[in-house]
Formats: sequence, structure tokens, C-alpha cells
Amino acid sequence: MKRSLAAAGLVLVIASLALKVAAENKSYHPDLHWLAPESAIARPNPLVGNAEAVKGGKKLFHRYCADCHGADGKGVGRAANLQSADVQIESDGILFWKITNGNLDRGMPSFSGLPELERWQLALYIHKMN
Amino acid sequence: MRKIYLAAVCIGLLPAMPLRSQESPYFVTYDHHMEEPGNLEIATSATIGVPRAGQHAFFAPYTELEYGVLGRWTSELYLEGQSTASDSSIFTGWRLENRVRPFEREHWINPVLYFEFEDISEADKIQKEIVGHSPDLSSPNGELHRNKNRELEWKLILSSNPHDWNISENFIFEKNLSANEGVEFGYAFGASRPLASMATPNPCRLCRENFSAGVEFYGGLGSTRQFGLQDTAHYAAPVLAWQVSDNSSLRFSPGFGLTHESAPVLFRVGYVYEIQGLGRKLAQWFGGTP
Repeated sequence: MKRSLAAAGLVLVIASLALKVAAENKSYHPDLHWLAPESAIARPNPLVGNAEAVKGGKKLFHRYCADCHGADGKGVGRAANLQSADVQIESDGILFWKITNGNLDRGMPSFSGLPELERWQLALYIHKMN
Repeated sequence: MRKIYLAAVCIGLLPAMPLRSQESPYFVTYDHHMEEPGNLEIATSATIGVPRAGQHAFFAPYTELEYGVLGRWTSELYLEGQSTASDSSIFTGWRLENRVRPFEREHWINPVLYFEFEDISEADKIQKEIVGHSPDLSSPNGELHRNKNRELEWKLILSSNPHDWNISENFIFEKNLSANEGVEFGYAFGASRPLASMATPNPCRLCRENFSAGVEFYGGLGSTRQFGLQDTAHYAAPVLAWQVSDNSSLRFSPGFGLTHESAPVLFRVGYVYEIQGLGRKLAQWFGGTP
């Protein structure tokens, strides 16, 4: 019985910690250390000029990105405004690298589980947003 | 048997949830993808066992609540039960798992450390992982349920994503705190990929981009008392996942027993629903800035 109570206590402590982390005040600040390597910057998008791919990218954006970045990409909470000049100036290669790796300590998940071409579709669509 | 049908109906009445293509189709194998921070994933799954002679069919449903605490920390609570034909239906226990990703960036091989505490009875039959020697599928529930096990489990998860494939290897170590059984070992390997590599321009439900398929292998490797393949259960299981909507998915896997100690077939079905941004909603409730 004591062990069950201790285990239940452990669950409560972890749940409380999770709630506390979730309730922290968060707002967007660019991460100046989240830099793609040289090899990623110049990587060309194999789907450039493919209008169908952009439409598919829009669909993917609404499925995976819109919840944090907003349907218009302007950002919610501490997620980046994808229409900002800081983001739009970045090459498709940089966006592909960022989508692939994420920035886990800042809340951006890795989307390396998506097929490579879908990640290029997302990069393509983000550049069409503004 | 009637109780099995009742349990199946209850599971079927739960709100359905489809898989996101980012979701893994595996039931047993873990890959390195963590739950997105602030998201809550609710999954209801079941393991259905086809018996050998002298055994009874069983239906073992379980519910998973998975929360992305941080980008590199995912926590998950399981509630488990089972219903055995010509026997009884029982709640068999719970487990709490935590997965931590030590490296922030993607690498060729991505390790994840997994820690779990289980408080389950020996009647538990979900077979979320197979460790040690073959589980007892013959004794009645009344007898098995008297033996409560508190166990610690560790996994080393290694996972890669070469060319749209996912290849994952899990090495499992389990220590029963309630009985002196030594440390038990197990493994799980999986390979899967989406059926299409690009998203089509129009919304669709049954197109290939919403499906992923693969295969997983899992089994026990004995314990520190008797290491090896003797008296162990092993399975080969094709897996299929269908992303039903943007935040829900269905999974199915028939697992075929490879040894005499394995069940001939373990059918696994699961439905996953993801609540996005729960963390932000909680932040609003607790007075933080969303």
C-alpha cells in the first residue's frame, strides 16, 4: 500500500511539473544560435517552380505548422513570424534544415519523420506566404 | 466471450483518432520522434491474442496519454486491462514512461533514453514489449491477478531516417522489484516508410500520402539467470498506419509468432487522437501568455 501511495505521489509530482512547464510565460525571441551549417544553406530546392508542390506545401503547413505559427504564419506565442523579413530572407536550404532538425530546446519540433520532398514543399510554401 | 464483445464495443465507442504521418506506425518499437511540446496524444489500442490448444482467446485494451513536456522530454501514462474468453475481465495496472532525447539535432543515429515504472499484475496481456521468457497465457485470471509486479524498465532507443525510411532498434532491460527474477532482456526492431513522398495539392483521405507501412520484430532474450532464446517468444509483425484526419490516425498490425512459446497471432489495433497546443491552453488558464 505504501509503495502504491509513493508511486501515485510520483505521478502527481511529474504531472505538476508538466503543468508548471506548460504554464510558463512564453513569447517569441529569435534564437541567434540556431544556425544552419554552410552545406545546408546552399542546398537547392528540387521542387522550385512546381506550383502543385506549393499547394501541397500549404496543405502540410496547415496540418503541421499552423497550430503554432498561425494559419497566416505570423506566429502564436513564442513561435516565429514566418512572414517576417528575418525568416523570408533565409534560403530554402536553411528552412529545410530547420524543419528537419527543429530547435527542441526552444519548442520547435523536428520534422525529420516527414519525407524529404514534403519538407521541401513546406520550405517552398513558407516563401510564398507574403 | 460475451465480456470480450462488450469490451470491444466500448473501445469502438471511444472517439476515433487518426495518425499524423509524422506518427510512427509501430506498436512495440519506439523511434526518436518525441511528442511535440504542449501536445497531448490520447490513444486507445488493443492486443487480441489467438490461442494455442489449451489456451483462451484474449482481448487486452489499453489507453495511452502521451504529453510533450519539453522538446526533448515526453511523458506517457498507460492504463491497461484484459478480457479472457471463458474467464473474466480485469483492470491489470498502469505504467508511467519517460523518454528523453540527449541530443538536440538530428544525427545519422539518434539515441533516446527510456525509463518506465510499471505496477501491473501477471494477468497483463497487452504485451507492449516482450522481455525475458514466454508470458503465461494458460493460467486463469484469478490466479495470475494475485501476483502484482512492480517493475523498472529501461530502453536504449536508436533510430535513423535514411531516404524517407525509419529504422529503429530498441534494447530492453527490465527489473522486477517484486520478485527475484534477475534482469530480463528483450529487443524490438522496426522499419517503415510513408507510401508517398510528396503531398498532393488537394485534400484527400485515402491517398497514399496518408498511409505508412513497415514491419517490426520483437521478442525476449531471457534474463541474467538464463540468457538466450530458450523458452522465449518472438514475433514478426507487418504494420500499417492511416492518417484519418489532421490530428488522428488508425493503426493495425498482425503479429505472427515465430516460436512455440509465442501466441500464433497477436492482432493489434489502435486509434490515436492528438490535442494540439494543450500547453498553450493551460498557460492561458494559469494566467501565462499563450
